Amino acid sequence: MGKYIVKRLLWLIPILLGITFLSFAVIHLAGGDAAQQMAENSGIALSQEALEAQREALGLDRPFLVQYLDWLGGFLTGDLGTSYVSGQDVFSTFVSKLPATLLLAVTSVALTVVISVPLGILAAVRQNRFADYLIRMVSFVGNSLPNFFVALVLMYLFAIRFQVFPVISAGTGWKSLALPALTLAIAMSAKYLRQIRAAVLEELGKDYVTGARARGIPFSVTLWKSVLRCCLSTILTLLSLSIGNLLGGTAIVESIFMWDGVGKMAVDAINMRDYPVIQAYVVWMAVIYVAVNLITDISYRLWDPRIRLGGDAR
Amino acid sequence: MKKRVFSILLALGLAVTALAGCGGEQEAQDPAAGQVQETSGEKKTFVFGDTTFNAENGIADINPHNNSGGWACIRYGVGETLFRFTDSMELEPWLAKGYERVDDLTWVITLQDGVTFTSGRAMDGEAVKECLEALVDTHVRAAGDLHIAGITAQDQTVTIKTQVPVPALLNFLADPYACIVDMQAGVTQEGIVSGTGPYRAVSLVPDTSLGLVKNEDYWNGNPKIDEITVRTISDGDTLTMALQSGEIDAAYGMPYASYPLFENDGYTISGCATSRVFFGAMNFESEITSDPAVRKAIAMGIDKEGFVETLLGGNGYPAVGAFPDNFSFGGDAVSAQTYDPEGAKQVLEDAGWVDTDGDGVREKDGTSLVLRWLTYPSRQELPLLAEAAQSSLGEIGFQVEVNCTADHNSIRVDSGAWDIYVSAMVTAPTGDPEYFFNYHCLDASSNNDGHYHSDRLEELAAQMAQTFDPEQRAQLAIQMQQTLLDDNAYVFCSHLRMSMISRAGVTGLTAHPCDYYEITVDLDIA
Repeated sequence: MGKYIVKRLLWLIPILLGITFLSFAVIHLAGGDAAQQMAENSGIALSQEALEAQREALGLDRPFLVQYLDWLGGFLTGDLGTSYVSGQDVFSTFVSKLPATLLLAVTSVALTVVISVPLGILAAVRQNRFADYLIRMVSFVGNSLPNFFVALVLMYLFAIRFQVFPVISAGTGWKSLALPALTLAIAMSAKYLRQIRAAVLEELGKDYVTGARARGIPFSVTLWKSVLRCCLSTILTLLSLSIGNLLGGTAIVESIFMWDGVGKMAVDAINMRDYPVIQAYVVWMAVIYVAVNLITDISYRLWDPRIRLGGDAR
Repeated sequence: MKKRVFSILLALGLAVTALAGCGGEQEAQDPAAGQVQETSGEKKTFVFGDTTFNAENGIADINPHNNSGGWACIRYGVGETLFRFTDSMELEPWLAKGYERVDDLTWVITLQDGVTFTSGRAMDGEAVKECLEALVDTHVRAAGDLHIAGITAQDQTVTIKTQVPVPALLNFLADPYACIVDMQAGVTQEGIVSGTGPYRAVSLVPDTSLGLVKNEDYWNGNPKIDEITVRTISDGDTLTMALQSGEIDAAYGMPYASYPLFENDGYTISGCATSRVFFGAMNFESEITSDPAVRKAIAMGIDKEGFVETLLGGNGYPAVGAFPDNFSFGGDAVSAQTYDPEGAKQVLEDAGWVDTDGDGVREKDGTSLVLRWLTYPSRQELPLLAEAAQSSLGEIGFQVEVNCTADHNSIRVDSGAWDIYVSAMVTAPTGDPEYFFNYHCLDASSNNDGHYHSDRLEELAAQMAQTFDPEQRAQLAIQMQQTLLDDNAYVFCSHLRMSMISRAGVTGLTAHPCDYYEITVDLDIA
C-alpha cells in the first residue's frame, strides 16, 4: 500500500509539468494579454509606448518559453508570483480564498449525500411505484435545470419572497452558505440519485439477494448489510468526482452569490490572461485530482477487500 | 455497516457545522461584509452595489496611482482632485482655489486652505508635489499625458513646469489618477490611501468590498452617512435581487433588462449620457470600405435609434459624433448621415454595387459586398450592435460577417482581416476633446488601425495642440469631428447611459457625465 501511494504521488511530477505547460501554451494561443485586457476594460486607450512599457514591466514582452521557465523556476522555489491584474501575491490570494471553497464543497457534498442516498435507495426499493416515478421525475427536472437558474429561483424564493437568506454572501456564515450549497446539492443530487438507484437495483437483482430472501433473512438486513456495502464503491466514485469538481470551485454559483472562492477567481484570471493566477489554479486542480483519486482508491480497498490496488501483492 | 454509514454522515455533519460556526463568527466581525445595517445600531449606514469595482476593470484597490484605482478613489468619496468637472463638463477648481498660466510651459496652482488628509496631515503644496511626482513615476498613462518637467511647492502654491505645451493640463489634473493623496501616509498592503474626501477607507478586500467611515474633519461640508460599504457584485441578476431584497441601498451597473423592475415610486433612477461611445472605424486599406460610397451607405444603413430603443431598451443615446450633447462640442454641434435605407441603396446603385444574381448581396466587378465586422464580447452592447447592423445593412445589400472575439486586439492590427472595427471607448475621459483624436484618428495614433488619413484633420490637430483657450479648442473639436463624419471614416452609433438606481429615501446620489462622482458629501439616506 505504501509503495502504491508513493508511486502515485511521484506521478504528480510529470502531471504537473505537462498540464502547467499545456495551460500556459493554450492561454497564450488564445491571444491578448493582461496589459491589453485591462486597457480594453477601462475603455481608455493607451499609447503604444505605454502599453509596451506595461508589458515590459509584467515580463510579457519575453518569448513564451522564457516566461514559462521563469514561472516554473519560481514555482519550484515556492514562489507562485504576483497577479498581473491585482498586483497581489498569488499564493496568499489563493490561500485566502480556499477556506470558502472548501466549506462550500464539503457542505454541498454533505447535502448531496443526505438527499441522494436515501432517495436513490427508496427509488430502487420501490421500483416502478409512485415513489420511484416521483423521484425520477424530480431527478429529471433537476438535471434539466442549469445551476444559474436554480440559483436565481432559490434567491427569489428565499431571499426576496421569504427573506430568510441573503442574496449576497456576507462572509462565510451559515446563512450565506445555505443557498449556494443548496444550489450545488440540488444539481448533484438530481444526477446521483439516478445512479445510486441503478447501482442498488443491479445489486438487488443478484443471486445472493434472492438466496438471502429464500433463507428468510429480512430484506432490511440484506439491504443494509450487503446491498449497500456493495454499492458503496459506486457512491464513493461519484462523491470523489464531485469533491474534485467542487474543490476546483464553481465559478457560476460563486459569481451569482458573490461567494469569494477559487472558481470565480480562476475564471476572472482566464478572462484577464492573468497567467500566474491561472497556473496556480492549474497546479491546485492537478493536486486535488491526484489526491482525491488516490484517497478514493485507498477507500475502495478499505471498504471492499476484494478490490486490490496496483501495489498490492496478488 | 449501518452504524459506519451513520457515523460518516454524522462526522460530515459535525464538520460542516463546525466550519459554518467558525464562518458565522467571521460574518459578525467583518465590517465590510454588507452587514453594517444590521449591526451598527443607530448609525446611519449605506450599502452600495457596484459591478465595476474589481481587478478585471483595473480597479483592484483605491490607490489612484495603480491602473484605474483612481476611479474607485474618487467615486467612493475617498479622494479629490485639484480640478473637477461641472455637470456641463466644464472645469472648476476643487482642491485648487485658482490657477494662473504664466507661459505655455508654466502653471501656478493655488490650493484651498484648511484641507487635511484623513491621515491628519495638512494638504499643502509639498503634499501635492509629492503626490504628483509619485503619480508620474508609477502610473501607466500619467507621464505621457502630463509631460511634467518639474514641480516646485511653496506653502499653498504649486508650480508645474511641462516639457512641452500641454493645453489640457488642468483637465488631466481632473482625471481620477490625479486624486491627491498623502504619500507620507503611504499605501497600505490592501491598497488603501488617505485622501481628502468626505469618507475614509477602513477596509478593503479586492473584488469583494470596501468599508468607509465618515471623515469627521471634511473641509467642504458635513458627510451624512456614518458607515458605507461598497460591495462588488459581478452578476447583474444578483445586483438586481440585492436591491430588491433591500440588502443594498443603491446600485451601479444594473443590467438593462432589470430597469423596468425599478421604474416605480420605490426607487430613483439617475442617469445621463457619458462620453463612452460605441463606434465603428472603417478600414481604409480594405477593398470594400476604402470605397467612399460603401462607407456612406454603412453610415446611412445603421439604425441608431432602433438599436438604442429596442436592443438597449432606451438605455443609451443615439450618437452623432464622438461626444454626447452635454459637451459644448458634442451632440448636434456636428452633423452626420441619418438612417435612410432607401438613400443608402441608391448610393450603392450609383457607385455600381448591384445585386446581379438576385441573392440579396450586391456585387461590383466580381466582388461581393461582404462586410467583415470585427468586434468583441466584453461589452454587452457590442454583440447586440453587430446583430442590429447585420440585419439593417443586410436589407440594403450587404452581407455582414460578424467576428465577435476576445482576440480582437491581435486581429485589428492586421488590416487585411477586417473592414470595420467596432469598439467602445471613452472619448473624453478628462472632458477635453484632444485625447480622442490623438489616440484614434491621426497618422501617429496608436489605435488608428484602419489607417485613416486626412490632411485637414492633421492640420486641425496641430492647431489644437497649440491652443489653450477652451472655447477655441471646442470649435476645433467640432471641425475635426465634422471632418471625420464628412469622410464617413467613423460611424458613431450610441453613447452609454450611465445610471445609478437607489431605493426611495436615498438622496444626493446623482449620475454625472464624467462617471467619476458617485458617493459625495451630499449623499444621505432617510
